[in-house]
Amino acid sequence: MKEGPGKAFLLCNEAIVRGALESDVKMVSCYPGSPTTEILDTFSEISPKFDFQMEISANEKVALETCAGASMVGLRSMSSMKSVGMNVASDSLFSLSYTGIKGGMVVVVADDPHAHSSQTEQDGRPFGPGAYVPLLEPSYPEEARRMTKRAFELSERHGTPVIMRTTTRVNHQSGIVQLDNLQRTPFKKLSWGHPPGRFVTVADSARKFKAALLERTARIQKEFESSDMNVVKSTDSDLGIVTCGAGYNYSVDAGRILGINPSILKLGTTYPLPKKLIAEFISKLKTVVIVEELQPYLELNVTAIAKDANPALKIYGKWTGHFSESLEYNPNIVVDAMAGVLGRKAPVDYAAILTKAAELKKGLPDRPPTFCPGCPHRATLHAVLEATKGMKHILSTDIGCYSMSFLQPLEYGDSLLSMGACLGVATGMQYAAEEKVIAMIGDSTFWHAGLPGLVNAIHHNDNLTLIILDNEVTAMTGQQPDPGRDYNAGGRPAKPLILENVIKAMGIDDITIVDPYQVRKAVGPIRESLTRKGPNVIISRRACALYADRNKRRRGEVIGTNKVDKDVCKRPYTCIRSFHCPAISIDDADRKAYISKELCDRCDVCAKLCPYGSIKPREGE
Amino acid sequence: MPAKEFSIYMTGVGGQGLVLLSNVMGSACAAAGVRALTGEQHGLSQRSGSINVHMRIGEDIQSPLIPVGGADAILALEALEALRYVEYLKPGGVVLMNSRVQHPVVETKEHVRDKTAKYMSAETVRSRMAEVTDKIAVIDALGIANKAGNPLTENVVMLGAIATLEDFPVPIESLKQSIAANVPAKAVDVNLRAFDMGMQAARDMLCNIVKCRE
Repeated sequence: MKEGPGKAFLLCNEAIVRGALESDVKMVSCYPGSPTTEILDTFSEISPKFDFQMEISANEKVALETCAGASMVGLRSMSSMKSVGMNVASDSLFSLSYTGIKGGMVVVVADDPHAHSSQTEQDGRPFGPGAYVPLLEPSYPEEARRMTKRAFELSERHGTPVIMRTTTRVNHQSGIVQLDNLQRTPFKKLSWGHPPGRFVTVADSARKFKAALLERTARIQKEFESSDMNVVKSTDSDLGIVTCGAGYNYSVDAGRILGINPSILKLGTTYPLPKKLIAEFISKLKTVVIVEELQPYLELNVTAIAKDANPALKIYGKWTGHFSESLEYNPNIVVDAMAGVLGRKAPVDYAAILTKAAELKKGLPDRPPTFCPGCPHRATLHAVLEATKGMKHILSTDIGCYSMSFLQPLEYGDSLLSMGACLGVATGMQYAAEEKVIAMIGDSTFWHAGLPGLVNAIHHNDNLTLIILDNEVTAMTGQQPDPGRDYNAGGRPAKPLILENVIKAMGIDDITIVDPYQVRKAVGPIRESLTRKGPNVIISRRACALYADRNKRRRGEVIGTNKVDKDVCKRPYTCIRSFHCPAISIDDADRKAYISKELCDRCDVCAKLCPYGSIKPREGE
Repeated sequence: MPAKEFSIYMTGVGGQGLVLLSNVMGSACAAAGVRALTGEQHGLSQRSGSINVHMRIGEDIQSPLIPVGGADAILALEALEALRYVEYLKPGGVVLMNSRVQHPVVETKEHVRDKTAKYMSAETVRSRMAEVTDKIAVIDALGIANKAGNPLTENVVMLGAIATLEDFPVPIESLKQSIAANVPAKAVDVNLRAFDMGMQAARDMLCNIVKCRE
């Protein structure tokens, strides 16, 4: 982190961290989740050099509560999570909005339109009105930095947590950011100093808090009416756009592409909405287009406001079919919709370009995300598929890299709902289905939300087998340490929890531990475990390959590669079938397997699968 | 007079260092006072899947995403990935593609099933792309990176290739300084060598049809 003033090219998530540091944040707690993960990663990376406290929490609810506790005392705190993480944390958010806080508290909540790396396209904005928590929405990195600072001030001034709502294309946008000075104060514990019951909300106190929070919300709304976080660009056009977040970026470019100059109201404060400002903006227009991704939240509100402010106003958006509630927007979608509203043709025929491209791409193979070379999940799944041959079963899987098993080429897995859901779902399945029921979860997801499901399965003696893929870290989001590691954020020492000890203490003695890299040896014990009555547990333990490689490089170890001895290969393709490593392909010349030197991680699993022993270390090349 | 706008659709396979490349370009822009923004991909799709970065340079551009038909250039670290995003190229835009093909596991699975199947080649990609532009350079980035001294500099070879273009509005010196600042200290020399060799390779292939820097 550079000292200000200056300029830097930053990812929006880094700009948010910058804004928090410039705001003298003192407590940070998060659980990783795309598209917010780089907020956690950046805080973690710099934390040894700054005097804020930080935890990579067991889950988002704990993360939010950690911030709540610190902000009750009076410190400034920040958490970040994806919107599905806020589903987990929201139980406490709703109460916290009642009790309020003392030190500024900002929670970044990121939606993922297009479900790039999420199970749904959830719109997180309803958390604002639902919990009476102010929502701020930036569109680009520099604005996100400034808005983060405003969010802390707002939070502290009104004693409320503040949500900064983003979307994937805002979080994962880089741009040039202004750096202000880092005016940090030394970390200091504060004295509690509150009267008893200050943060207790139940019954009578809840009713009092509710009345107070309605007043607070009214005050904040009044403040937002004149806030410079809402930007009005007035032109002489009677066509206007009301937009927020990523929609603003596409609206500006669409205007340029179409050669039009509409008035634009860019809303930065999307809860509580500045109703007078909106009324004033739309009162001068004949036509307004609402450009917002996901739910028609602004559209609903603008329509309601227009009833009095401008009943003749033509409002275009999702309800008129010009935009969809599905998928993310992009410049050409907005151009086409605006052209539709204006009743003219777009200057570029996007449909024709896409048709031509589809023709050129005939026969181009898909490249969905898949397990990395060396990934222990690939080996575990191969062993499970071998072990379950002839065994009718249902696989209730969970959130993590192993979720990808349902994709091509494996297409293995029957249900996936949310973090930790594999266990509760498996419990229901084992009551209802004739087949064997297997639940599958990673170590980080198990600590996050799997524990209650396992408690339940043990208590009710449910007949299911839980497979825990223990790769030591939260791999999917970039190998952050989880409660199984002996360190946490910024490398601070932490107490490692041992999976089998915890599970044994919970009441399961039938625990089978296998090493997926010993793929053939793992099949028998997995099969035996699956044939015993549950609840029982299989732990498949091997570090994430990317994490292990990083550690090897740090220790100066060479990561070798394998090759196929073509004199020995008899083309059984056992190294490919049900394995599908990106490093292995087929040589078109002789149709024998070929291992890419650039991609091989030398996990040696394919060598163990080959019945002829044709896969050998590549030496001296 | 603000610098000319320039949008590059950068593609590759997860793990090839595309995000580093966009950081190097973006930091060079910040240092040179040129406005730049990107739309990037992180998370799930990184895992050996198809990835892309929208790189946009220009004073008035607001959208981090390039519209269809709006890219001045496609920079592909892997050959098939150039074709996957062909709709983004402006008619007659420049294509800089690595000759290396990483066969997707989905395609290999099909090979096991069908003994007559052949992988899609870089040449097939080139000939298909040739239907929409005549400005294509197919660069043996891995070979050049190996000659430079490190196969991992494949991405910087391709950065050198695009830096050859006169329309690419970032000074060479800023790019080199940015490379030095963004790679490990002991890898600076080999990366700068890879950059120069990439520039030279593109020059040999492109400069009779596209305006290159002096």
